[in-house]
Amino acid sequence: MKSRIAIAAVLMGAALTPTLARAAESGAEERGSWGALLFYVINFLLFVGILWKYALPAARHFFKDRATGISETFSKAQSAFRGAQELANRAAERMAKLEAEKSQISSDLADETVFQIGRVYDLAREAAARIKRDAELSATAMAENAQRRVRAALALAAGSLARDIVVNNFQANDQTRLVQGFVDKLGEQAALR
Amino acid sequence: MRSSKVAKRYARALLGLSTDNAQLEAWGAELERLAKIVDAPEVAAQLESPTVTHAERIEALGKIAERLDLSFPLRSFAVVVASHGRVREVAAMAETYGHMLDDLMGRARVTLTFAYQPTAEDLARVVAGLEAIAHKKIIPTTMVDASLVGGVIAELEGKIYDGSLATRLAEAERRLSG
Repeated sequence: MKSRIAIAAVLMGAALTPTLARAAESGAEERGSWGALLFYVINFLLFVGILWKYALPAARHFFKDRATGISETFSKAQSAFRGAQELANRAAERMAKLEAEKSQISSDLADETVFQIGRVYDLAREAAARIKRDAELSATAMAENAQRRVRAALALAAGSLARDIVVNNFQANDQTRLVQGFVDKLGEQAALR
Repeated sequence: MRSSKVAKRYARALLGLSTDNAQLEAWGAELERLAKIVDAPEVAAQLESPTVTHAERIEALGKIAERLDLSFPLRSFAVVVASHGRVREVAAMAETYGHMLDDLMGRARVTLTFAYQPTAEDLARVVAGLEAIAHKKIIPTTMVDASLVGGVIAELEGKIYDGSLATRLAEAERRLSG
């Protein structure tokens, strides 16, 4: 900031000085122009020196920065170009592979479909076998139950019939014989002890 | 079976009062008579009434024993039972005493249920058979139950010996029904 102020002050000084010099020497124009020429030369040299000292490095710095920026931008553009080219190559490769993938997927789908059909068929067969087995078991159980009930009913009827026959035909000597049988059994038990 | 710990204690105490079997038998019969009276509903209701005092209860049981013409030990026993507030246990005491006395005498009581009224011969044969098993003298109590159809059932010392026709028929029926 200070350097800029100083540069501005010198430039202002240089610009005002020839005006003052011309005003001072306006009355002596007829004495010749060597002094004025010298003044202009010195003034020009000072101007060139000031430019050489202060403006040239700034301009150099500006253009150097600009060149660096352009160079960086250029290399970025080149890099982006290479990336885009690479992507394009990949896309082309991918496109080439898509056809193979398509046929592979188609083949996989066909295999999976065959597998699933087989599985469904096996499951259906197992379910049918299970249903058949359950039905057979149920039928067997129902038949056994029915047989058991028939047997129970027959036994009840037979028991009732036997009881009626026994009661109707029971005689005194039957009771004696039963008592004797009971006593014999008691005797057998006594012998076992 | 009305036996209880209390009844057992009292029965054992009465049995311990004598070693004379005849006397113990007599006491058993007297205790049975006392139990029958005390266990009668109208007497029991009076004895257990809350309006009757403890002293009146003791006096009442003493009078009952006197009316029954019980022996002196049994009268004392009745008074002791009443004074200890165990009048309700007298029937159980009599039953327990009977069992203990039977054990002491080497005999057993059996309940015989016949399908028909048994002849003396049939009864004697069954009793003899049971004596052979129990190795004790058997005192039978006979009952008649026509539902047995035929034969006899004996209940001896908690075991049932079943020789009835009804049971055989039921068994045959059970086998037929599978």
